Parts: sequence; structure tokens; C-alpha cells
Amino acid sequence: MSGFNFINPFGVREDPGSFVGDRYTDNFSRKARRDTIVLNLGPQHPSTHGVLRILVEMEGEYILRAEPVLGYLHRMHEKMAEVKTPWQFIPNMGRVDYLHPISWNWAYVGAVERLAGIEVPERAEYLRIISCELNRIASHLMWWGAFVMDLGGVTPILYAFEEREKINDILQIVTGSRLTLSYFRFGGVSTDIDDRFERLTREFIPYLRERLKMYKALVTDNIIFRRRLEGIGPMDLDLCQRYGATGPILRAAGLAYDTRRDIPYGLYDRFEFDIPCGPSNDSYGRYLLRLAEVGTSLDIIEQAIESIPDGPIKIAKAPKANYKLPAGETFFAVEGGRGQVGVHLVSDGGQCPYRIKLRAPGYSNLSLFAEAAKGTLLADAIAILGSLDLVIPEVDR
Amino acid sequence: MTSIDSLEGRFKEAGALVVCRHDFKREGLVLSALIPANALTELAEGLKGDGYTLLDVSILHAKEGFLVTYHFDSFKEPGRLALRVLAQGDQPAVPSLAPIFDGAEWHEREGRDFYGVAFLGNPNPMPLILPEDFQGDPPLRKAPAALASITALGLFGKPQILDAAWWENLTNPVKDGD
Amino acid sequence: MELSLLSFVQIIIACLLIIGLMVGNAVIMVYIERKAAGFIQRRPGPYEVGPRGTIQAICDAMKLLGKQLFIPGNVDWALYFLAPVLAFLPVLVLFLPIPFGKYLTTLQVDDGILLILAFAGLGVISNILAGWASNNKYGLLGAARAVAQSVAYEIPMIMALLAVVFLTGSLNLTAIVERQGTWPWEWNIAYQPLACFIYFVSLVGETNRAPFDLPEAESELTAGFHTEYSGMGFALFFLSEYANMLLVSFVCATFFLGGYRGPILDGFWWTFIKAYAVMCVIVWLRWTFPRVRFDQLLNINWKWLLPLSILNLWVTAIIIKFID
Repeated sequence: MSGFNFINPFGVREDPGSFVGDRYTDNFSRKARRDTIVLNLGPQHPSTHGVLRILVEMEGEYILRAEPVLGYLHRMHEKMAEVKTPWQFIPNMGRVDYLHPISWNWAYVGAVERLAGIEVPERAEYLRIISCELNRIASHLMWWGAFVMDLGGVTPILYAFEEREKINDILQIVTGSRLTLSYFRFGGVSTDIDDRFERLTREFIPYLRERLKMYKALVTDNIIFRRRLEGIGPMDLDLCQRYGATGPILRAAGLAYDTRRDIPYGLYDRFEFDIPCGPSNDSYGRYLLRLAEVGTSLDIIEQAIESIPDGPIKIAKAPKANYKLPAGETFFAVEGGRGQVGVHLVSDGGQCPYRIKLRAPGYSNLSLFAEAAKGTLLADAIAILGSLDLVIPEVDR
Repeated sequence: MTSIDSLEGRFKEAGALVVCRHDFKREGLVLSALIPANALTELAEGLKGDGYTLLDVSILHAKEGFLVTYHFDSFKEPGRLALRVLAQGDQPAVPSLAPIFDGAEWHEREGRDFYGVAFLGNPNPMPLILPEDFQGDPPLRKAPAALASITALGLFGKPQILDAAWWENLTNPVKDGD
Repeated sequence: MELSLLSFVQIIIACLLIIGLMVGNAVIMVYIERKAAGFIQRRPGPYEVGPRGTIQAICDAMKLLGKQLFIPGNVDWALYFLAPVLAFLPVLVLFLPIPFGKYLTTLQVDDGILLILAFAGLGVISNILAGWASNNKYGLLGAARAVAQSVAYEIPMIMALLAVVFLTGSLNLTAIVERQGTWPWEWNIAYQPLACFIYFVSLVGETNRAPFDLPEAESELTAGFHTEYSGMGFALFFLSEYANMLLVSFVCATFFLGGYRGPILDGFWWTFIKAYAVMCVIVWLRWTFPRVRFDQLLNINWKWLLPLSILNLWVTAIIIKFID
């Protein structure tokens, strides 16, 4: 906005030839009506969880159009993969999605293993499942707190952090870090669990189940909270199909599609767990679904920690730093906290992979925001944005 | 239920240049087809009708040009497919899938950012991930020696080459003008 | 009321004391609020600065005072600087008719509550000016929300207070306290529970506190009308917010909770205890509830509070007319 104008304080172009803001704003406001406000949400906005930027055209508080602008957290992971050996690239995977890094660990390591034909020992598979599910719970809890904060409830995020700290304590024992976890190795995992890990995990399961009841009493049943979410941002199956949305959004739309069960990987087919789906495709449905998924993850961990077999945690001839991938292509997908995480790996048989394409679920999920937010109130758009569970580093990669 | 056989038949009918069955366990794909660019829209529409969704658009910079790979998956009966289009020439271009799969808009914009492949018909051809004022060429592999041939990457497993002349030309390009 | 030299001096002294009270209140409330938030959120709250973090609020105030006055480009200078001052000034007048104790009133005004309501309406003007002058779209949206909300919530607030005025037959606040007894069941809250409830909801809306903090809704409008204010400008808005909270709590204590009268030993301490109890409830609400949406906020007001308060007033009037 340049030049304050009392007649036209919204900064809508008077002269069609003038240039407003940067290219995105200019391009966006070129199509705007004269009596509307073009508002720039972000990249530094409390509700965009990082550095997402959304241009919205508003009539009063109603959103006529929205356009996300990405790229503020782009780190070129895909390009980095082309100059790093597969081994060197593992730490990058902990940094793509900082809330559920283990899923990215798995997607990448799994892709390499599939291409190279590496079999993983049974104990390692169990450890992978336990760590991945613990991490998924941490991711969902973090989302829970942040989502309620988007709606103005400041307290629940600190409760969520309390639980998340416990999970971090557990995962720290085997991964050594608390945020950008790099636990997986080709042909296994890096560290074996000890008694403390087992004890803490066993203690954590009933503890979180109790806490989930408190969450329900404090937040889920709150009348203000329900009124804010029910019927807001419906996303049906057609929308999901057109945008390639996966994960909780798709399941809330009523389709029990979960990579863990539909395209089984690891040893997920050994465990009994139900894929929650529904109950409604609005923001409240997505909220309930994610809390139900925490229960599912707890079920899986409970079974896995009870039946974990003894044995090695890594294959004997695990690929080393100078390992060369055989030529070929693979697409490997796992279920992350936000949806289907995919790695498309192409190798020419050289030192480094020839091309890696990361399929981030958040990228597809965010792309439907513009359509979902159309015609809603600003506050509803924030609720919809929160219910998508975005992690911007993952969207931008 | 759309069987893989019927899909394969449909790809062949649409004039696919190469069709290939994959080992899902190793390659994560069931079926892939290299198709001419003009058949893409029609095939994508058919896949949409069968309940397939677009997972991503992955572009490969190879010696012959840009191999644009569209990954599709069905939520109802998972079986991943790949449609490939080879965009060649100085100004590589393929038709946009955004009118069919709205999600393709972003994947295509990203592809245009990083590979300079134009997606004709994209409703919003703005840079997406690169900065808006980014000047210069897309960040491609610069050295010609670093480029692999798509036939050497093992993308096609055991391919059924349907257009032998085209394949021959791809593997041993006739240098005209030399 | 004649204005002799003595009463003039008296008012000056009282004003100084009120300013002291406002500043002291802000310091104490910041501490209470942060400690309460800490308790609710299962964390210690401030505890580094001073014993148990007691001087944290003072240090915060010093920081705000010492900060550079950052003026964004293209603001309307006059209005931009006027707004925070305008937010703070009327609050002084608002405290004049409040009976802290039986004889502890700055100005015995017969129309005390009218004076308060009239000047309380000025506060929103500063919000509009701040939002408009700072040349910021978030500010503008916040200001628009502030106007709609203030105007809406003032009406049921007045209606609720009127019911008590009907009961007392006077607009004088001391008279209203004097009519109430010493025990809780003799206070107006026992006679007018609905009016008390409506007043309480409206006061949360009127002071822009969560869950009705829409003009400064952080997750939607970053900071609403005071987005562009920093340092002292922000501090004045902050101060006036707490002063307004204190004022509505005092009015609540006076009208519904028996003012300075208590079970034992009447005196100003009762007024303060009651007012701070009300404030603690407001703080408790803030850290527990999520924020309502703007249309819901107005619906609560126009569809529930207003009809209820009119009904309440009507029933009160009929009862007074035919029973008393």
C-alpha cells in the first residue's frame, strides 16, 4: 500500500496501470472488485503456523477468493538429494516435516530398500512401527493444541505439550533428538530400545487414554468450540479426489483409506486396528477423527510393545556411506500424520540418486483451501486452515 | 472395477508409445505408459471417471528432454499408475491437467518453477515455490555429462514398445544438421 | 453541587489517586492474570524477576516505556497519537462517581450511573481512531468489529443496570449500595439474578475480553485495532483495557454485590474484594474458553441478551408497580 488515501483506504487500485505490492498481490488484486479489501494473511500471521501466506479478497468479513502463496520455507530438499549420497540424505528427511519426521524417514528409507531389495529384520520393523506411531501421536497432539489456539483457546496447547514432552522423552532415548528425528537406517534402525523405553511406553498408553477423556470434557464438548466448527468447511470425496487430498481429510469425508492398511508396508498387516472414518466431513468431523486416530495409534503401540520379538535391529550387511543404488525407479508411500507421504526415487546407478520427488500430503491438502474457504467468514477460514493440519516446511519442502 | 488389463488396453488405444507392467513390491507401480502429449487430457479424464486421483507430478530432466510423470492412485482399489509424457525441444510444453484435477495446478506450477516445462492451459501460471522475482533459468542439471538417458534409468522394466520407430529414434537419435 | 476550592482540590487529589489505582491495578492484574494463566495451564507463570516474579509486571511496564515509538508509514499522525490518549482519558472520569466506601466517593453525583455509561461510550471512539489512523487493514477490520460490538453490548448492559435502578429508585451509586443489605442474600444479585448475568456477559463483551475479544482476535486479525502500536501507545491501550475491566467490576460490585457492605465490618475493602473477585472470574473465562465468531457474538446479544433484558426490565417494572 503506498500513499494513504481517505477515499480509498483499502489500497484497491485506482489506476489500472499501477502496480500494487509484489507480483502476487498485483496479479491477485487485478481480478478484485473495487469495493472489496485485498488482505494479506501472512507470511507472519499467528494462524498460518510458520510462513504460509494467503491472499484473500474480502467483502466485509466474507472471503470471496483466496490464494495461498508458498515458497517462504523452501529448502530444495529434492535438489539436495541429487548431490548427496542416499546415506547422507537421511538427516534431510527429519527436516521435511518437523512434526512427523519418522514418516518421512520411513518413506525415504523404504524407497531405497525397495529399490535395492533390502529386507528388514523383524525386530527393526516393530521398532519402526512403535516409533512411527508414537511420533504420529505427538504430531496429532501438537495439531490439537495449535488448532484450538487458532480458535482462541490458548490453554489446551500447553496440555498437549505436556503429553508431547513425554513422547519426546521416550523417542529421545532411541533417536537422540527431540525434533528432527533421524532414526531409520537402510536395513533397520539406528538404536535398539532399552528397558526404560519399554517402561515409559507402557506407562504412557493408559496415561494418554485418561488424558483424552479430559480433552473431551475440556474442549470437544465445549459449546463455543462446537458452534465454531460444526458445518464449517465441508470437504466431500469429490473435492478430495480432484485435489488429491489424503489422510484425515479424506477419512473424515467418509472413506476409510489408510496407506497402512490399503497399501501395506512394514508389518502393519500383523496388527489389529480399525481405521476411523467420518463422522462428518466438516471441521468438527476432522477434529474428532484426529483424536480417534490417536486411539488407533495407541492400540498399535500396545500390540507392538507386547509382541516385539528379539533379534537384530539392522541387517548384517547394511549399506554404508559409499553405497550405490542400483538403477531403477520406485514410488514408495507411507501414511504420515497428514496423509500419504510418498517418495519417488529414480537412480541411474550412480553415487547419488538421479532424482527424488517428495510427495508431501500437506501440499495437496493445502491446495484445496482456496476452494473450501470461498464464501466463508474470515474466522471460519482460519478454522478450515487449522483443520487441514499444515506443516509449512513439508508443504514447501 | 477397472482391471489393469482394461486400463492397459485403453492406454494402447490412446496411442501409448511404451506400456509397461511393473513389480509393485519393488517399484511401487502397477502400470505405466509413455504416451504422446496430445493423449494426456483424454486419458486423465478417463482415470478421473474411474475414481483415480492425481498424487503428484514428477519431472525428470534427462538427455532426451523432460520426462513428466503423473502418478495416479485410486482410493478404492489402490494400484498406482504412472502416465509419462516426454517434453522435448527448446521450449518444452505439455497440456495442463488442472481443468480435470484441480490439484494439478500447484504440481504443474512447481514443475514450471524448477524445470521450465510449460503447462499449457494452467489457470494461474505464476511462480509458486521460487521467489516471484526470480530471474534466470530454472535450476537444472547444467553439465550435459550429468544427464542420463531415460532408457538407461530402468524406468521401463520390461517394456512393451508399441511404436518401434519412435523408440528407435529415442535410443539412437538421428542427428540432422550434423 | 457547587464547586468550591476545597472540592476542587479534593477532586484533583482523587484523580491522582485514581491514576495511581489504575496503574497499580494494571501492575497487579498483569501479575494475577499471568499467575492465573500459569495455574490454569499447569506452568509456573512468571517467577524469575523478583520474589515469585512479583516485579515482572513493573519490568514489563518499564520495557514498554523505554521502547522506541515506532510510527508506520502513511499513518494519520494526529489521529494515530490521539487514539491511545483518548482511550486512557475518559477512564479517569468514569471512576469519579464510584463509591469505594460509604464516604469514599470522589464526586457525589445524583446521576452517577448515567455519567459512567455516557463516558464509557467514548472508549470505542479511540478504537475506531486507532484502527483507522494506523493505515492497516487488520486495524480497520478490528475497529469495525469494535464499533459493532460496543454498540451492541452497551444496550443489554444499560437494560440490566436499569432494572436495579428501578428497584432502588435512584441513579446515585451510593444510594444503590445503601439499599442493599450486608449479607449476600440481601444484595441485588438475589433480587435480580438475570440482570446480574446479563450484565456480566455484557461486561465481558464491553471490555473486549475473551471469549469476546474479537476486535483484537489474535488468530484472525493479528492484534486488531492496535496492530500498529508499540511502546507507550500500546501501553496506554493496555492500561485502559485493565482500567475498563476494573471499572466494570466496580460497577458490578456496586450494583449487584452490595458494594462496600459486607457481612462484617463495612468498608472500602469489601468493594475491592468483590471487584477483584469479578476480575478473577473474567481472567478465568479468558484462559478457558475459545473465541466465539463475530456473527455468533452479535447473535448472542441481539437474539438473547437484549430480549431477555427487556423482559427482565418489564417484569421488574410490573412487580414494583403492583406489589410494592
